[in-house]
Amino acid sequence: METTILNLAHGFSVALAPTNLWYAFLGCLVGTLVGVLPGIGPLAGISILLPVTFGLNATQAIIMLAGIYYGSQYGGSTTSILMRIPGEASSVMTCIDGYAMAKKGRAGAALCIAAVGSWIGGTFGVLVLTMVAPPLATIALRFGPPEYTALLILGLIFLAYMSSSSLIRTLLMACLGLLLGMIGIDNMTGHFRYSFDLAELGDGIGIVPVAVGLFGLGEILSTPSAGAVKDIISPRLRDLLPTRKEWNEATMPITRGTLLGFIIGIIPGSAHVISSFLSYAIEKRISKHPEQFGKGAVAGVAGPETANNAASTGAFVPLLALGIPTSPITAVLIGALMIHGVSVGPTLVNEHPDVFWGFVASMYVGNIMLLVLNLPLVSLFVTVLRIPYAYLYPMIIMFCIIGVYAVNNSIVDVWIMLIMGILGYALRKFDFDPAPLVLGLVIAPILEQSLRQSLIMSNGDYLIFFSRPISLGLMMVSISLLALAAYAFVLQRTDWRTKLAEVEAGEKEL
Amino acid sequence: MILRADHVAGAFFAGVGLLVIALSGDLPTGTLSLPGSGFMPKIIAVLMIFFGVVLALRARESKPFASVPWSDAKHAAMVVAITAIGVALYEWLGFLTTNILLMFALLVIIERRKLLPAAIYSIGVVAITYVLFVYLLKTPLQTGPFGI
Repeated sequence: METTILNLAHGFSVALAPTNLWYAFLGCLVGTLVGVLPGIGPLAGISILLPVTFGLNATQAIIMLAGIYYGSQYGGSTTSILMRIPGEASSVMTCIDGYAMAKKGRAGAALCIAAVGSWIGGTFGVLVLTMVAPPLATIALRFGPPEYTALLILGLIFLAYMSSSSLIRTLLMACLGLLLGMIGIDNMTGHFRYSFDLAELGDGIGIVPVAVGLFGLGEILSTPSAGAVKDIISPRLRDLLPTRKEWNEATMPITRGTLLGFIIGIIPGSAHVISSFLSYAIEKRISKHPEQFGKGAVAGVAGPETANNAASTGAFVPLLALGIPTSPITAVLIGALMIHGVSVGPTLVNEHPDVFWGFVASMYVGNIMLLVLNLPLVSLFVTVLRIPYAYLYPMIIMFCIIGVYAVNNSIVDVWIMLIMGILGYALRKFDFDPAPLVLGLVIAPILEQSLRQSLIMSNGDYLIFFSRPISLGLMMVSISLLALAAYAFVLQRTDWRTKLAEVEAGEKEL
Repeated sequence: MILRADHVAGAFFAGVGLLVIALSGDLPTGTLSLPGSGFMPKIIAVLMIFFGVVLALRARESKPFASVPWSDAKHAAMVVAITAIGVALYEWLGFLTTNILLMFALLVIIERRKLLPAAIYSIGVVAITYVLFVYLLKTPLQTGPFGI
């Protein structure tokens, strides 16, 4: 514990350096804007802005990119409350009661509760991350190829199980991502795979063109400019403070949302989306006045907003301790660190203490910055929404091209982005969530290498995954989850995924 | 039988799986004790075919293919076409010229904006971005025939 405190103190000395503070601020500011703007989510935002970090060192880069990530969670609530448009997926639940509060003249209070809840959820997440990640990394040092294989398989199954779309759809997306991740030179044999004599494909398909194409360009193609401008409720600064009654109503949902969000954040999948949905469902279920939900219940804003921010922070635990991405966003962050020559995994805490502890400390600082940014400047952020979408999207396309081209100075990457944009558009038409594809793309090389190494180690015996204690435990969890999914399928039970889809489609009662 | 969205999606993914297997012909599968470079792609392709078939078999739960909304397809196709032209010209004309033309074309051809505001906006946004990247962020951008 003492070592952790000393390391954290070192982290603060890194995070509070003026240059790092500036990049944390920049990340939070851009992240809030990314969250506010419909049609550009955190994943596309981080990917597009990745080249901006090329001139920075690894610590500054991760501080800025993480700021964009959790800043977008804050910003997403603004459009949900004031316009009933979720800036990004995790803010869907906030739309329901947040907008209802705004219609009743309590927009300022809703924004304040969302911001304070987000701050508490985020800060709690960082506190636990500080304590949990280093010891977990020590355990992870004992991981060999079979353990990594079992962990990655569990990650994929968890992703499918917890995904907001159906199990089969998620698995199909993950398979497509895994196949895309196998394009290029095979590290173990040197064979070129599916590269069609294009030298640029020898190194494989990068995560940036795929992520920007699917989530940036794909979203633009799916958003006709005619329907993008909506009425905006402008809150007055003096109305920002909630009443004592509203604070009392928010206290317990914030507490529950914090714990729930963090736990779900550690689990692979679109954690922040799921956590906000579950938080809303729980708050409604245990409320003494469930009839108020949908009509401006404070708990309907406080719980989900807190949970999605706590989940965003929770997602950093497996990333920093194990080097395993649990969401496409953390996958992009791994890619960003790799570009800067930092390998993410159990050795990160010892080999790059400045990056690890500087990053952790910057999250404390960033959460305070976001609280300060989001409340007084809310009217300013909302002003951005008044720019007609017809003028906004050409600018986003330009940033997509700059962002993708700058990673490798490769026009092939830009063509891949364009193809992925078309794919992203088509996937939306057929109700597929592209997020598992990106995750599959990132884990493909690690999964393939660890699986093949495990088989070589065991002379082709699959039982190696069941003969070592850690991999056995992980495999048993995977099998249990598959059994549960099969059970639900057999019973044709309407589970929470279907309910979420219904809520997203038409805000059906939970 | 009504053709449903998941019939089409399932057939597409099964087709992709078959295509991967066909393209993997020259990749050695190896053995279990020494897996080759085609080992993993073939496993994933088989899984993809399986999931694609399952999706198609369960297609009655999905919406009819005819009800998939394509009203925005013309807009999307035009954006893709203009962006593709921009991408094709990017390395030849450089960042400044290509992006000014790209934004101007998107605003005038697709969004039917007036020429002068579209031109001012395109030149202004691209110039600000150029200064931001090249001078403030020290990130070099693609140069064109005249070194800009």
